[in-house]
Amino acid sequence: MNRNRWAVRAVVLVYLGILIGLPVVFLVIKALGHGLPAFWGEVTRPDALLALKLSVEVAAIAVPVNTIVGVGAAILIARHNFFGKRLLDTIFDVPIAISPIIIGVALVLAYSRIGWFGAPLARWGIMVLFSPLGVVMATMAVSLPYVLRSVVPVLLEVGIDEEQAARTLGAGPLRIFWHVTLPAIRWAVMYGVTLTLARTLGEFGAVLVVSGNISGVTQTLPIYIYDSWDQRFDVLGTYSGALVLAMMSMAVLAVLALLRRRERRLRVDLA
Amino acid sequence: MSISLKHLSKHYGSTQAVEDVSAEIVHGSLTAVLGPSGSGKSTLLKLISGLERPDAGTVVIDGEDVTNVDPRHRDIGFCFQHYAPFRHMNVSKNVGFGLKVRKRSPKEIDARVKELLALVKLEHKAKDYPAQLSGGERQRMALARALAIEPRVLLLDEPFGALDAVVRAELRHWLKELHQQIHVTTVLVTHDQQEAMEVADQLIVMRTGHIVQSGNPLALYERPATDFVHEFLGPSTVFAGEVARPHDLELVSVYQGTITGRITSIVSLGFEAQVTVELSDGTSTWVQLSRNELAAMGLRVALLVGVRRRDDVNF
Repeated sequence: MNRNRWAVRAVVLVYLGILIGLPVVFLVIKALGHGLPAFWGEVTRPDALLALKLSVEVAAIAVPVNTIVGVGAAILIARHNFFGKRLLDTIFDVPIAISPIIIGVALVLAYSRIGWFGAPLARWGIMVLFSPLGVVMATMAVSLPYVLRSVVPVLLEVGIDEEQAARTLGAGPLRIFWHVTLPAIRWAVMYGVTLTLARTLGEFGAVLVVSGNISGVTQTLPIYIYDSWDQRFDVLGTYSGALVLAMMSMAVLAVLALLRRRERRLRVDLA
Repeated sequence: MSISLKHLSKHYGSTQAVEDVSAEIVHGSLTAVLGPSGSGKSTLLKLISGLERPDAGTVVIDGEDVTNVDPRHRDIGFCFQHYAPFRHMNVSKNVGFGLKVRKRSPKEIDARVKELLALVKLEHKAKDYPAQLSGGERQRMALARALAIEPRVLLLDEPFGALDAVVRAELRHWLKELHQQIHVTTVLVTHDQQEAMEVADQLIVMRTGHIVQSGNPLALYERPATDFVHEFLGPSTVFAGEVARPHDLELVSVYQGTITGRITSIVSLGFEAQVTVELSDGTSTWVQLSRNELAAMGLRVALLVGVRRRDDVNF
């Protein structure tokens, strides 16, 4: 019994080590192998810094927008009945189900100069493709579902009793949302936000297609890493960039783990 | 404030939850809506509160037609079956919520909350969160929260359903006292006939979306309009082809009985004893006796006896 448990643990650890642990260790070794100054020099290159800046800016737009949209849609789906609800629910799963590159290609089709939306926008002088705007849109599209998917189950679990109680006590929709609904789902929202942030920072496929990979303009950090590797054959630049991105993601993961613990501790059965 | 319900109907999909229900609820009364699950009693309460809109009919509170008034403007206090405490607010904040919505001054809210917590005996829990309270305490907090807005009517959905037997009995007693103290028109929904009989001064018995009978509890107990009410409101058995209360029957000698029979079992339950008799007409009935009666009569299983209705309780 006990021996079996150890065996299972060992298998899992070895598996994780082969898939994730060792590659990350090698990444760290390679990135820092030429010493910290060399690493620092790579990270602070102008095009690297611009890529980092764009990544942060894109996240600063995509995460809040998707949070608001996600919470709104979650309330719509969990609390209201309307025609097309199932369809809406399913559409939110599309970015999880299909490859990001397909989303990228679809965006190109819709927003290229001869596309449905692209043509009128171009007449107004708005360029979606090969511009930061396109990068933001592609990122928002792929990171859309996460807030909704974390919030809906909690809304369903919490139920409508508290909201109805607030209503009988005289509260209007806005007060009910801020004082009753939101406090009940806040950890789920935070959880969704961190997932969205992680997805946003790491997004590659959809962004690559719509961005046109213009250094210093539409290059996010993942695209910069790909560019160093595939176009410039800059091994040290690749590893350094990758290590920075990995550390940012790890930080997000750490926050996520903390939130999970918090959420479990705060989930109290009131039934 | 009085409540008057006129021809209320409500259906969910193809289920008719409430069908053409009319009732008058007297000002200051404590009315229990009693019925088995699925009888439409909870729906009726939601219709009064406005949390559900009727398909047809009107709800009149204190002479005002509120059928199309949003629940937030109806001035009703509603206590939910599972109390629906705001889980992220402490007891004081919960109780003061309705007053804060009404934009009362912090000082006034504070004073009123203290007063209400004293009324429901929760002063020492003011800073606790709902998760830290027992079921009975949550119930009392919910009551204080509903009473804070000085509602025109108080509506309680299965108020004691989720509590254990001891706390339930205590709270029932307490609720009755509270009602005598503050006299707000109260409607409570329950499936427990004992609870309804003990607490309420008016009963409305519902079945499959209809009101079967209403009136004061004793009258309903003694003069049930249908077999359903009879069986639902207290112990019942069948004697001589009619529904009867087991304590309205008595055991006598073979010659004095309306029907003779043979005792098949005697169960003693402390003060009361249940004696089951197989009757000569092929049916079986049971008679409720006091411990003293049982001892005085020297009854035992297999004895032949006569069964008849007690004369003094014939209405």
